[in-house]
Amino acid sequence: MSTKIIKTLVKKEMLDVFRDKKTVIMMLVIPVILYPLIFIGAMQVVAMISSSMEAQNYRIAVDAEDDGAFSRMLAEKGQKDDGSKASEAGGGRTEESGGAEEDADGENYTITLVDAGSITDYERALNDEEIDVYVSGAMQNGKMQYDIYYLSSATNSSYARNIVLDVFDEFKEELTEEKIRAAGLDVHEILEPVLYENKDTASSEQSLGSIMGAVLPFMLIISLMMGTMYPAIDTTAGERERGTLETILTLPVTSRQLIISKFLTVALIGIISALLNIFSMGGLAFYMYQIMDMQTETQSFEIAKFLPAILVCMLAVFAFSLFVSAVTMCVTSFARSYKEANNYITPLMLVIMLTGYIGFIPNIELTQTMAMIPVANICLLIKNMLIFKIDYTAIAVVLLSNVAYAVLAILFLSRIYDSESILFGDGKGGMQLFERRSNLQKGGVPTVSDVWFVVSLTIVLILYAGSMLQLKFGLAGVFGTQLLILFIPLFVVVYTKRDLCMTYGFRKTGIKNFLGGIFLIAGFIPINLVISVGLVSLLPDSAENVVTVFDELMSGNLLSVLFVIALAPAVCEEMMFRGMIFHAMKEKYRISTAIVIVAVLFGIYHMSLVKLIPTGLLGFVICYVAYRADSIYPAMLMHFLNNAFSVLISCCPEKMESVFPVLYRETLRFSDVMQLLGIGLILVGIGLVILQKGKIRGRENKMQKGIE
Amino acid sequence: MEKNRIKADCLVKTFTRNEKKNKKIDINAVDGISLSIGEGEIVGILGPNGAGKTTLLRMMSKLMRPTSGMVSIQIGEKEITDDIEVKRHIGYLSNNTKLYGRLSSRELLRMLGVLYGMSKEDTEKKIEEISEILSMGSFIDNRIEKLSTGQTQRASIARCLVHDPQVYIFDEPTLGLDILSSAAIIDFMKKERGRGKTILYSTHYMEEAEYLCDRILMIHRGKIISEGAPEGLKAQTGKGNLRDVFAELIEKEGIADEH
Repeated sequence: MSTKIIKTLVKKEMLDVFRDKKTVIMMLVIPVILYPLIFIGAMQVVAMISSSMEAQNYRIAVDAEDDGAFSRMLAEKGQKDDGSKASEAGGGRTEESGGAEEDADGENYTITLVDAGSITDYERALNDEEIDVYVSGAMQNGKMQYDIYYLSSATNSSYARNIVLDVFDEFKEELTEEKIRAAGLDVHEILEPVLYENKDTASSEQSLGSIMGAVLPFMLIISLMMGTMYPAIDTTAGERERGTLETILTLPVTSRQLIISKFLTVALIGIISALLNIFSMGGLAFYMYQIMDMQTETQSFEIAKFLPAILVCMLAVFAFSLFVSAVTMCVTSFARSYKEANNYITPLMLVIMLTGYIGFIPNIELTQTMAMIPVANICLLIKNMLIFKIDYTAIAVVLLSNVAYAVLAILFLSRIYDSESILFGDGKGGMQLFERRSNLQKGGVPTVSDVWFVVSLTIVLILYAGSMLQLKFGLAGVFGTQLLILFIPLFVVVYTKRDLCMTYGFRKTGIKNFLGGIFLIAGFIPINLVISVGLVSLLPDSAENVVTVFDELMSGNLLSVLFVIALAPAVCEEMMFRGMIFHAMKEKYRISTAIVIVAVLFGIYHMSLVKLIPTGLLGFVICYVAYRADSIYPAMLMHFLNNAFSVLISCCPEKMESVFPVLYRETLRFSDVMQLLGIGLILVGIGLVILQKGKIRGRENKMQKGIE
Repeated sequence: MEKNRIKADCLVKTFTRNEKKNKKIDINAVDGISLSIGEGEIVGILGPNGAGKTTLLRMMSKLMRPTSGMVSIQIGEKEITDDIEVKRHIGYLSNNTKLYGRLSSRELLRMLGVLYGMSKEDTEKKIEEISEILSMGSFIDNRIEKLSTGQTQRASIARCLVHDPQVYIFDEPTLGLDILSSAAIIDFMKKERGRGKTILYSTHYMEEAEYLCDRILMIHRGKIISEGAPEGLKAQTGKGNLRDVFAELIEKEGIADEH
């Protein structure tokens, strides 16, 4: 019964999707018609470019004190070419004995020697493209020193320079031979004391495979993604937008049956479009190969040898299409309309493409861990198959992990389709920033969408402007960055007429909350130290970088460093993270979710892989206190203490070392680790207990207020 | 009226809304509604916008799960409560139940036949029958997106009929239709009542409810504020028509709320 229902639903979805023009265009027209057209067009453009090159005449001026030796050589070369061109114009290959010269790319050219005397200002002549290369030469310490002037921004000049360099090589060789002969020695003996030759042991199939391996996996990933993207949107967000979702829910069909049939439809269409892409590109490659075969005698390939590779690639395409369909549908299911779904899918595509690039990093092998990383594993698997590197366990892991991820995503999806807030929910928490300001109601905290917008804007700005400020102005630049963090969100908060106290948590709180915060941060610092050292030992190279950048900043006056590195972030970063972001997230999500979001954002904001986890944890601890205390002030104090401690470690190493010798050890011993963790945990425990008490008092206050 | 067909026990649906001042407020869109409707009975639900009519109907047709309470259907001697099984006996229609525009009515009905577990022959026979009743012959093979509003509404009703359900639940079925189309729907409901079908529907048109319904539920803020035959309601309040009854009841509630 269930399979019959799913079959019917799949049939319906397929009909529905295929009767839409957009899908057909994406699936059929692009791979089957557009690719070959683009390809043929590109080939013609290339042919045009190369034919325009052949006719090129380069103007070279030589002004050298070598009695015209180099100019003669140049002229000889240019003339020979000229001759060959004249005699064999359009004849293809030249086989004149003595050999008309061809440059490395096998193109013909002519050289016109321009009288150097007529050029007064060679720079201007080059800039005006009157000449392509200017060569000057003068005797220096008994040797000729030639300077080659060219204009790298002009294509002709660059080509001409390459020709001049080639001629110089020959010129040098001739002179060398002359000198050797003059000394009465055997030229060959001296110039070629050893002989060597390249011998490629890769079979012709392997070398073809390695070329294909560089292109094919990525093409497959892109085409599968493009193929699944549209049906994924259509069957989820599209169905909701057209209002048919409620209809289908009136039917005696479980949400799992519904999801599975949608998923199968999307995956099937993905596979079809991927196969069309493969055949289209394969056809083109075959066509190219035939043409090349007619022109030159390349090695022959046995297509049959690729059979296992092709089979595994097909399986990989199936597994990957399951994965991509499931993931795309997870994203699009949250959208209420096409437009929204498109917005959601763009970042997903970027992530998938970036992960795909991992497969192209040289030296990355398909290890057991790599085989678990989606997208990259498919790239690597196909690459390996094409160079006949077959590892059955890896194949199994890749295929199974893709299927497993797909299953997980589907389970998640069927939970979504069960939850009514997604089905019947109203799109709350939209952007207020772009509403008419007069329409905005006063008070409250910013919406989550506003906050995401501000956060991404601020982080991007800091990435560019912040790092530039820091490089140029050092400590003052860091302060400038902090001001950005303070004022960009503040502007939005004020502009959208939010309540400042509520948004930022400017509320009085009990002394116990401050005390608890102090204990908590004091305990957190040693624990985090252990974690940081552990992480640094995993990534040794980047750690050194961090230290040097930090050291440069610390070289100022202690008070100003404390102000910029400890006090300013304590105010500015807290207002943004534990203030605006936390309070906005708290409105929409559960408290635990909100705290985790703040922690993750805080970690990402520090933009360093090594610092990601330690700063994330710091953000978590501080955010927890801000939540318990219902105020931002203890959070600010904690942030200040944490940063001030790091400043002191760098600025007054002598004093600090006498108090905390453990901080300056190259490596931590096991006993150190235990000690640090022990002290840290005790302090954290005390802090938590104090916080518990503080909270009760806070609650009592609230209750009293309520009664009043 | 003798036999109960569909029954709701103390239905509650709570939505959580984020309000200002860091508070989450629970709103009971439907607040403890119990009702039971018999065979061959038409029950109309009246109430202002936001009273909880749509939420109630969605729960009755098992589209939405109640926060608490239960919906059951009586078929023969059996009382059915399972979501999927209940859906088999309900034909639900609302303004949000749109049809697949890229399919034709016939394709849609055939698909529904399979999904409701009907045999091929039965489905084909039923489609012919429905096409006759709703005079869909001229457009049954056209894509639904190309149909006119009235034709689309007929196709929608056809969708509810395919599986010959015992209960119809309609959410404002005549909204935005011209007189002819809405008369056809009212006619259809009367005919189905004659065949012993149970109909629960919501509307804003008082005259229509007065003409059609055996019983009327007035809903306000998730609660039934009054219930009875149209004549009885009028007698109760001493008003001449349903519109005034309605206005008076809502006003009373409003005043009662303020105290």
